[in-house]
Amino acid sequence: MKFNFLIAPDFPPAHFAGWHMLNTLLQRRSGLQLHLLMPANAQEQTALLQQGSVDMVYANPFDASDLIRQMHYRAVARPIGKADEMVIAAGLGPAVQIVENLKPGCRIALTDNRDVKLIGLRLLESADLAESDIEWCLRDSYQAVARAAIKGEVDAAFFLSDAYHALTRLTRSQLHVVIESALDDITHVLLAHPEIVPELPKIVAALTEIGESASDKEVLEALGLPLGFEAMIDEDAEFMIDLMDTLLD
Amino acid sequence: MSLIDMERPALPCTEHKQSYADGTSRIVYCTESEVQFPDGRLIVSRVDLKGIITHANEAFVMMSGYQRNELMGAPHNILRHPDMPKAAFADLWSTVSAGKKWHGYVKNLRKDGAFYWVYATVVPNVRGGVIAGYTSVRRKPSRRKIEASSVAYADLLSAERQAQ
Repeated sequence: MKFNFLIAPDFPPAHFAGWHMLNTLLQRRSGLQLHLLMPANAQEQTALLQQGSVDMVYANPFDASDLIRQMHYRAVARPIGKADEMVIAAGLGPAVQIVENLKPGCRIALTDNRDVKLIGLRLLESADLAESDIEWCLRDSYQAVARAAIKGEVDAAFFLSDAYHALTRLTRSQLHVVIESALDDITHVLLAHPEIVPELPKIVAALTEIGESASDKEVLEALGLPLGFEAMIDEDAEFMIDLMDTLLD
Repeated sequence: MSLIDMERPALPCTEHKQSYADGTSRIVYCTESEVQFPDGRLIVSRVDLKGIITHANEAFVMMSGYQRNELMGAPHNILRHPDMPKAAFADLWSTVSAGKKWHGYVKNLRKDGAFYWVYATVVPNVRGGVIAGYTSVRRKPSRRKIEASSVAYADLLSAERQAQ
């Protein structure tokens, strides 16, 4: 039997090969057949999930809330020491040095990553800015978001921290970090559909045992998750969902 | 569970006798020193149904001025500042115990008598259809909201004192 394994589309492009390497490794060690699904954007991900044929999902925390509470997916594992953080950056001019320099009517570039937008909005509260105070400038990629900030088309730009730090040195040299979140408790999570629960021990064992060998390290480095994965219990996921709930408004 | 009296800080301070809903009381000291909310962070804690702290993240421990072992197992009102009206906490508990989310601006008291303002959101932890505890997440508030809350709470506090 083949299981469909969906990866949320918010990882930096440099990690694309890493997910294929992980999938190969998981299949070899678990003895299960896994078919990797890599949607290009959030809309494609939603469409795949709604078809009801996704057995495992590496989901961002925002989507994980719905998948667990509405669609009854079970939390299986999470990356170790890899919280989901975001960066608000601006071009090199003097106009935006701190969050409080952003005023109603400001323009902010971002991608369609809902987690990043949600956390970014919370960080803007100290400047008394709400979603409706901002002119949102949607871009297809973090590279395009960076270009918009560098060219001065926007006052600030939202990035997933990983994506910001994966930008080229030249690009980052033309930006500066206004604020970077350090929320710590919010991570991507690997979820499994309730129908594959009998196979979970094999998957968890295969995933959490990826570790110290040179070939394992190569896979984890390619994923940008050098410390690997740890098993989760349902309460870990419930705690994170409660936390996300507090950030919704 | 009763809290022991605070130690008098070295800085100039005011002394207050604080009484709590469970009938206990203690002496607290307040200085005029404000500690700023750390940029980019969330302060996270969880309490059980009786308001006893069961989880605190590093930002919570750092901002409180207490050691982690002093916080775990202590009632959450260890951080209550005497400038906060009782009505605010009564509203919080009646809201979350009814299974709803509560938001509000809160002035917290540190172990050293200093204070820090937060925008707090508290949600009930519903497990198997039953409330098992509460999660509180605090974010950085704007100065404008802090100033407005200070005025509103001073009025409420004044009304509460007159009613006593």
